[in-house]
Amino acid sequence: MTVSPQDVDLATVDLSDRDWWTTPPAYRHAAFDRLRREQPLAFFAEPDIPGLPAGPGYHAVTRYADLEAISSQPAVFCSGRGAVSMQDVPAELHEFFGSLISMDDPRHAKIRRIVSKTFTPRMLERTLDSVRAIVDDVLARARAKAEAGDGTIDVVADVAAPIPLRVICDMMGVPEEDRPGVLANSNIVLSGGDPELIENDDPLTAFLTAGMEMAALMERLAAERLSDPRDDLTTALVRSEVDGERLTHQEIASFFILLLVAGNETTRNAISQGLLALSEHPDQWARWAADPGLDRTGVEEVVRWVSPVTWMRRTATRDGEIDGHRFTAGEKFLLFYAAANRDPEVFADPQRFDVSRDPNPHVGFGSKGPHFCLGAHLARRELQVTFRAIFDQLPDLEVTGPPDRLASSFVNGLKRLPARLTGDR
Amino acid sequence: MRVTVDRERCVGSGQCELLAPEVFEVDDDGAVRVLQEQPDDDGAVRDAVQQCPTGALSAEE
Repeated sequence: MTVSPQDVDLATVDLSDRDWWTTPPAYRHAAFDRLRREQPLAFFAEPDIPGLPAGPGYHAVTRYADLEAISSQPAVFCSGRGAVSMQDVPAELHEFFGSLISMDDPRHAKIRRIVSKTFTPRMLERTLDSVRAIVDDVLARARAKAEAGDGTIDVVADVAAPIPLRVICDMMGVPEEDRPGVLANSNIVLSGGDPELIENDDPLTAFLTAGMEMAALMERLAAERLSDPRDDLTTALVRSEVDGERLTHQEIASFFILLLVAGNETTRNAISQGLLALSEHPDQWARWAADPGLDRTGVEEVVRWVSPVTWMRRTATRDGEIDGHRFTAGEKFLLFYAAANRDPEVFADPQRFDVSRDPNPHVGFGSKGPHFCLGAHLARRELQVTFRAIFDQLPDLEVTGPPDRLASSFVNGLKRLPARLTGDR
Repeated sequence: MRVTVDRERCVGSGQCELLAPEVFEVDDDGAVRVLQEQPDDDGAVRDAVQQCPTGALSAEE
């Protein structure tokens, strides 16, 4: 489907409206095109959330250059007033759910370095075999499910969700029986308030309950690891010190939640929507499937195309000017990675899905600055292994219908994506 | 060329290790160590310096 930017009525575009985010991606990207050209720092009112005071609104940053300028000046545009919500929420709440993401240096850097080593390319080399084993097992189960039934599968539930869940839970040492709860709770934390996932349309209560359940799991595991250390991330967290001090209980809990949630939701949506993009571009599917040499560029293009995290927020710490706009301390800026990733100033033919695109300086893992995605190398590894395994083991996978989109501005998510395995191999 | 790292600015993102693993390594403290201070001037090292998210790397001719 193609939509021309001229087909979009900017007066109807409200990035704060949850339902706007379930419109077709082609339409949303056409709207971003208009915003990037005509209102690169467009101002939007914040959505009403029951239980929170109305805020002053935010600027939607859609140009790549502006996004990089803001992201690379963390002293001027800070994260510590909240990076994952449009609204200002009580500090303890945004620290609890944002952890590192809603923290500024120097503390951010010190806490992040506790686990940096675990996520480096060198360290992840060691996990390659276990990631492969997980992916092979998940795909075998999807095949068995299709063959035992009518040939259909749900790409989200049967392929995309279990892979990152098992990888991150293995790394953290989460026992098998606790994993369904981790998945359910991480879905709620990143639901964006989608009514299907939120009981009684009360997102604040749902988020807090999910957070408390994950914190309780951490308490149990932390107590076990203190007496019986293992080679996992949870042990690293409970034993780590920053400036000679142990992390507080709440810091450990929120870091634990961040790793589980971020490790789950983003990679899952890159897998499901990468498959959707490939099914919509069969020529790209055929090219990539035939050439393992495209695994690296193919994955980078999936991350650019999907932009699993749509935006992060920054807040001005002082007055200044950007792109001709005079701003004052306290103004909020939402960095729309999804829009910057289609900026024609940076990407040739940005609305084309091209698995051999190189160079591809996308900001799907974030832009310049200290908050660059901690899990980028892990995600790349998982995605490279997953797509190659799908080409080899599920070459007969056919997407059979439109996806159910998550009603969230923050995460570009699919709830369901129907498919079938035709048996033609 | 000569490569240096500002370990205060580094957050251990590992982008440089991905691009030029023979020159950079994130160590146990979660910040980058330069394995070869005077590496051969190839494009990968320059990319790594240029792409460091926190601008913690510098290269002199």
